[in-house]
Amino acid sequence: MAAPTQRGLVRLPLRVCLQGAESLLNPIRLAQSSLVVPVRTKKRLILPPRVKTKYTTPEEQKEKMRASGIVIPHEKLERSITLACTASIFDPYIPPEGDARLSSLSKETLKQRAVQLKQSTISQLAIRKVKQYDPNFSSKTFPEMAQKIFIEAHDCLTNFNKDKLHSLVTERCYPEMVRGNRYKTIRWSFVESLEPPRTVQIRHFTMMNKDNLYGQVTVRMHTRQTVVIYDQFGRLMYGAEDVPKDVLEYVVFERHLVNPYSSWRLHGKIVPSWAPPKDPTY
Amino acid sequence: MYTGSSREIIGKWEKKNRVVYPPQLPGEPRRPAVIYHCRREIKYSKDKMWYLATLIKGMSIDQALAQLQFNDKKGAKVIREVLLEAQELAVTKYNVEFKSNLYIAKSLTGKGQYLKKIRYHGRGKFGIMEKVRCHYFVKLVEGPPPPPEPPKTGFDQAKEYVQQLRNRTIINAL
Repeated sequence: MAAPTQRGLVRLPLRVCLQGAESLLNPIRLAQSSLVVPVRTKKRLILPPRVKTKYTTPEEQKEKMRASGIVIPHEKLERSITLACTASIFDPYIPPEGDARLSSLSKETLKQRAVQLKQSTISQLAIRKVKQYDPNFSSKTFPEMAQKIFIEAHDCLTNFNKDKLHSLVTERCYPEMVRGNRYKTIRWSFVESLEPPRTVQIRHFTMMNKDNLYGQVTVRMHTRQTVVIYDQFGRLMYGAEDVPKDVLEYVVFERHLVNPYSSWRLHGKIVPSWAPPKDPTY
Repeated sequence: MYTGSSREIIGKWEKKNRVVYPPQLPGEPRRPAVIYHCRREIKYSKDKMWYLATLIKGMSIDQALAQLQFNDKKGAKVIREVLLEAQELAVTKYNVEFKSNLYIAKSLTGKGQYLKKIRYHGRGKFGIMEKVRCHYFVKLVEGPPPPPEPPKTGFDQAKEYVQQLRNRTIINAL
C-alpha cells in the first residue's frame, strides 16, 4: 500500500531505518561496565627478562619453520634508481691563462677563441649527438638561456625556494650551493653582463649503459655581481652591499639527453688554477 | 661508532639555535652570538650536577674549563666535554671569531628519565631504587663576561628604605 507522501515526512528505505538496530542487538550492551577493563599502557624503560624459548638463533628458527611447513614467500626488494645527473664534471675545460686579464680590444685573441670552438672536433661530435635528442639546441642561442638559468638559480638560493632550485640545478650541484646556508641570509644581485656569454666546450658522456647519454656544456660568463652574506645573528660575514665585482666564471650545464622531459641545469663551476678565490670570509 | 641512543623528540633547548635574525644595519652595534648546547640523559644526579652548574655560571669559558678540570666530581668531566663541544660549534657553525671570547650566560640541569629497580632489605622488606639521570643545558654568549654585581652596602639599604618611605601616599588628604 503506497501511502501518499506528505510534506515534512520522508519515506526512507527499510535498510536505512534499521542501520542502528544492529547495535541494539550487540550482547556487549548487556555486560556490566566494570567488566570492561582498560588496557594499561605505561611506557617501560626496561623490559622484563624473556622466558627461555626453545629456539632463538635464526638458523634454528628457520629449521623449525621448515619442519612445521610454514612458508613465507621471499619478496624481492627491488627499487629502481634513476640517475638524473652525473657525479662530476667529465673532461673539465682548462681555460687559457690570462683569460680576463687580456684586454678585449685585441681582436686577435677573440678570433682565436671563436675559431677554437669550431675546430675542436670532440665538441662538434658532441653537438651532433645533442642535436639528435634535442633538435632545438644551438651553440649560439644556448648561452643566453644558460645565463637566465644561472640568474634564476641564484635568485632561488636567496629566497630559499627549494622546489624551484631543484628544477634549475642538478642533484650534484645542489648540496654544494646550499650547504651551510640554512640559517644565513644571502643577498645576491646580478648587475650586468660585461661580455656576452659564450659556449666554450661541449661534451657528451654515457653512464652505466651505452644508451644513457648525458650532455655537458661549459659556458664562459664575464659578469658583474654583488654578493652579501649575513650569518645567523645578522652580522656581515662576506661581501659588501652595493659593491659590484667583476666575475669571470666557467659554468657547466648538464642535461640527461635520453629523457625527453629533462632540461638544461646548472651542474658546477670550473675554478681555474691561476685564479683561486681571492677574498677570504671575514 | 655511535653508542648513544637517538631521541626522537628534538628538545626546546636545541630548537633555540634555529632562530635567524635579520641582517643588521651598518650603524647598529654588533649583535653577540648566542650558542645553546645541551647533553641529555647523563648518568648522574640532577641535584649533584646543580652544584657544578652554579659553580660555572657567569664565568668566562676558559675559567670554567680550568675549574672543572681540577674538580673531583664525576659530573665535572661531563660538563667539561659539553663546554668543549659547544666551543667547537661556536667557532665552526656560529661564526664566532675568538673561541676564548665566550662566557656562560646560563647553566642549568634538568631531570632525565629514571629507571626503577628493587633493592632488597632484610626481613622481607624492599625499597624501590631509582637510577637517576639528568640533562645539562648551557648557553654561551660571545663577549667578555659581565662584571659581578657589587654586594649591597648598608648605605644602599638605607637609601632604599628612605625611598620606600617617600613612596607612600596619604589617602583622603589634600
